[in-house]
Amino acid sequence: MGPNIQGIPFSLGMEATTNVIKNGMAGGMPAFGGQLSAAQIQQVVQYLLTLKHQDTYKVTGDPQKGSEVYKSAGCANCHMIHGQGGDSAPDLSNIGALRDPGYLHTTILYPGSDLPQQHLFLETGGKLDYLFVHLVTKEGRAFDGTRVVEDSFRIVIEDANGNFHSFDKADLRELKELPGKSLMPSYKGKLSDAEVNDLVAYLTSLKEAQ
Amino acid sequence: MRFAKIALPLLAFFMCSCRVSFAQDVPYQRILHSDREPQNWLTYGGNYASQRFSRLAQINSKNVSQLKVAWIYQPSRAVSNVETSPIVVDGIMYVTEPPSTVTAIDARTALRLWSWSPKMPQHLVLIGLYGNSRGVAILDNTVFVGTADAHLVALDAKTGGVKWDVHVADNRFGYSMSGPPLAIKGKVIVGTGGSEAAVRGLLDCYDAKTGKRLWRFWTVPRVGEPGAETWGNGAAQSAGGTTWNNGSYDPETKTVYWGTGNPAPDFNDDDRPGDNLYTCSLIALDADTGKLKWYFQFSPHENHDWDSAEPPVLFDAKINGKMRRLVALANRNAFYYVLDRDTGQFITGVPFAKETWAKGLDAKGRPILNPNQQPTLGAGTLVYPSITGAVDWPSPSYSPLTGLFYVSVHETGAYYIKGTGKIEPGFPKGIVGGGGVRALAGEQSYGAIRALEATTGKLRWQFKLFSTAWVGTLATAGNLVFTGSDEGNFFALDATTGKPLWQFYMGHGLRSNPVTYEVNGKQYVFATAGNAYVAFELP
Repeated sequence: MGPNIQGIPFSLGMEATTNVIKNGMAGGMPAFGGQLSAAQIQQVVQYLLTLKHQDTYKVTGDPQKGSEVYKSAGCANCHMIHGQGGDSAPDLSNIGALRDPGYLHTTILYPGSDLPQQHLFLETGGKLDYLFVHLVTKEGRAFDGTRVVEDSFRIVIEDANGNFHSFDKADLRELKELPGKSLMPSYKGKLSDAEVNDLVAYLTSLKEAQ
Repeated sequence: MRFAKIALPLLAFFMCSCRVSFAQDVPYQRILHSDREPQNWLTYGGNYASQRFSRLAQINSKNVSQLKVAWIYQPSRAVSNVETSPIVVDGIMYVTEPPSTVTAIDARTALRLWSWSPKMPQHLVLIGLYGNSRGVAILDNTVFVGTADAHLVALDAKTGGVKWDVHVADNRFGYSMSGPPLAIKGKVIVGTGGSEAAVRGLLDCYDAKTGKRLWRFWTVPRVGEPGAETWGNGAAQSAGGTTWNNGSYDPETKTVYWGTGNPAPDFNDDDRPGDNLYTCSLIALDADTGKLKWYFQFSPHENHDWDSAEPPVLFDAKINGKMRRLVALANRNAFYYVLDRDTGQFITGVPFAKETWAKGLDAKGRPILNPNQQPTLGAGTLVYPSITGAVDWPSPSYSPLTGLFYVSVHETGAYYIKGTGKIEPGFPKGIVGGGGVRALAGEQSYGAIRALEATTGKLRWQFKLFSTAWVGTLATAGNLVFTGSDEGNFFALDATTGKPLWQFYMGHGLRSNPVTYEVNGKQYVFATAGNAYVAFELP
């Protein structure tokens, strides 16, 4: 019998999880590198990513009403669904498949409380954990934004307007990581409980490309 | 298969401004005095002391920020994670390509002169290994390579033609070679990998002209041989202690220094009570006879897969006011050791990375173990360092100018899980690990380039990396340390302060040891990443 694999990509990291599936582990887990293509192994890893939480939140809202809340609350100013909306925040076209309802509920109320972590994924060349940063160049220009990618020498951030900024760390006077912060505002107190539940129901229904 | 040699000398005749004269003959005396020709890189470790230090200073801390790509070479077929560290002789660079191809290229232009690939068995056995080669050795006019199917092959340095080919060990049992041979006067010394297949470790010496085996040292004894008593009842089938990296050589005393790997099975030690000599040790052998002069075991009765195969670095320095002949090693078990290289006497040993398995070392250098740090059934035990150790195969460097030892460090732990796997008779069917690990990741795992005072191990400076890097270091008289990251950065640090001075994004994590050389009075720095072999130069 193998171990419980819920949350494995989060504890092992994406690369190590990929390697375990590909190469197996001594004393138990067989190697699947010969049976599965690299793309298929990545699909398995992506699936494992969806198994993060034991979700106790029950979806009780109305997705149709949630769609209206989505529009009226201004979510589309930053988020995009099937090509419609802003691009300064994550695309939500498939968010129902990627995040469980409880996670979505928490994030709407407390946006920075449980940001997704991808750890260091070397094949893409850098660090991708979702992180809010504040940086100041040697010339004194300050920038706030979310990290797009970072390695030991460079960083690219995305500001609130969706613009990318690329820096060499050698040119920075300050680089401050602000874990738990998010560009997204909290909707606690701005939306009623029913509206939040409707919004969660709508987002949960977004599981496939149109 | 051999490729046609390109008539580069003829071409160069018509392009006199860029003319390069190739002279491949490398008698022993040239390697012995390699410090007299810093334009070349004649052994895997840069010299017999494995210091990876270059006296070239054209590229230095004042101008390194101007470095640019001189050329890029890529193998004719796509490979991944090239791990080669080249030999450079008079304008020719000898590299390997995975798994065991040897290629000679013009070190000024990257034009390929010749390439040779061995015919591999239909069912190549690679257990706990992944079919790579970290380089070659050169002596006289011959290039030597160890192959993934455990052959030692001698190639003509000018043409790539095979001079001789000996079968060192049986690949069906899991013997395989990735480490470069060491060529000394008239002899070639080579080790093998395969501890995870439970092979019995060996170090072989061959006549460089004929390929005749001159001696063999078994790194694990059999019943009745010295050291067998350290294997409890298991000496009859004791295994491990493989010799899969490169060694060092002291020509003054004709001593070969070589590191050995873990005992087998890695994590299930039920059948091997005792210290398990000569695994996880540094062995000092008489180069003429292969007889053991002394040994030093870093991790007695090891069961975390902490091979001691790191290349040992030889240097002379004052200890308590007295000049001593030393050998130093940053071990996978997270301790930095300094020993007397004539006697093996322990001089000092300190942790250079986070470790939780030992309280420290006693007066003889033996670890004082912490409780509850052994692999356990089920979820396992969290131990630092991880299975990849505080270091792995990439080489450190030593600068006689700064007196510092530069090492690329892994800062990470792992959950060590004990299993039921044991050594079975016959050909191995898979990893004989007797357990496994669950590695840490994310914020719990990072890397660093550290500069240690070579005689004490005291940390002088460090440069932190997000990733646990798999790149050796290169120290130069330009007051530089070149190294790289798994994130894909090739970079230079100030050798005195650790300040970053230059970086170039290679597009893939680096997995090799950088070198430097000079052609036509121009210094180059060389590194690999992914499929790319890249040389850098000043404008």
